[in-house]
Amino acid sequence: MIFVAVGTQFPFDRLIRCVDEWAQAHGVEVVAQIATGTYLPVYARYERFMTTEVFNQTLQKASLIISHAGMGNIITAIESSKPIIVMNRQFELGEHRNNHQADGLEWMSKLPGVYTATSCAALTALLDQHENLQAGGQVGVERRQNLINFIDQAIRA
Amino acid sequence: MNVKRKIFAISSPGGHWIQLTRLCAGLEAEHEIVYALPDKLFKPKRDQKIYSVIDVSADDKWKLLPCALQVGYILLKERPQVILSTGAAPGVVAILLGKLLRIRTIWVDSIANVQKISRSGELVKKRADVFLTQWEHLSDAQQILFKGSVL
Repeated sequence: MIFVAVGTQFPFDRLIRCVDEWAQAHGVEVVAQIATGTYLPVYARYERFMTTEVFNQTLQKASLIISHAGMGNIITAIESSKPIIVMNRQFELGEHRNNHQADGLEWMSKLPGVYTATSCAALTALLDQHENLQAGGQVGVERRQNLINFIDQAIRA
Repeated sequence: MNVKRKIFAISSPGGHWIQLTRLCAGLEAEHEIVYALPDKLFKPKRDQKIYSVIDVSADDKWKLLPCALQVGYILLKERPQVILSTGAAPGVVAILLGKLLRIRTIWVDSIANVQKISRSGELVKKRADVFLTQWEHLSDAQQILFKGSVL
């Protein structure tokens, strides 16, 4: 099963439609979390919002995560050892209030197990070889601990 | 130097919250943490104390006032020694109130802000006692510090 999730703040119809149409053409099971989207999947099962509990259960059952380029889903996918494809929201299309998701795509693509797409065509190309997409290992464990250690010192100061 | 502090941790839901909880996971053993989150979808773990507050973003600035009243009430009731936030707007509210109440404030700008400091971060850059970016190239080594990142 493939799990596609767009976060809770905005809809992302372009992503949901792209995955839904690909899934229908290829007969692959998809669960979608679509927020306030107006495009309702015709093939994928979907919910608008999920509790953290249901979200995590669905994510654990999935073999691949597809998401807007949001940090929450990227961090959760890496921690759960799931490969993830992210497509950035575009400010120009009214999909976010600025273009930071496009700015972030380059470094996201360097994270192990994170695949990036800037368009439905690029996403479809990745989906066509979805069985070859591998999860990466844990990343930045030391960087995180360094940050926590510094905050701990700053708290005690 | 084993001093246990009370920390008030607050952020927007979604990616900010995921980052905040990952940082707090490394602090929970040493300190007492009280959380505030504008999200009804999140279910706290057994021993986590979480206040639910009104969500506010750049799109609905009018909610700043009710959010500030709630956060102010929690600060007065809980009397934390430190405020920690990863953003966005609810974190700004808490940092500004924290300054007013003379509480130590720590801001960690979201790792999503790769090319420049976030808009909410810019608002508190000069106010927070400690201001951290998660990108070395955004640090000026004085006001904006880089000490690591969640990834």
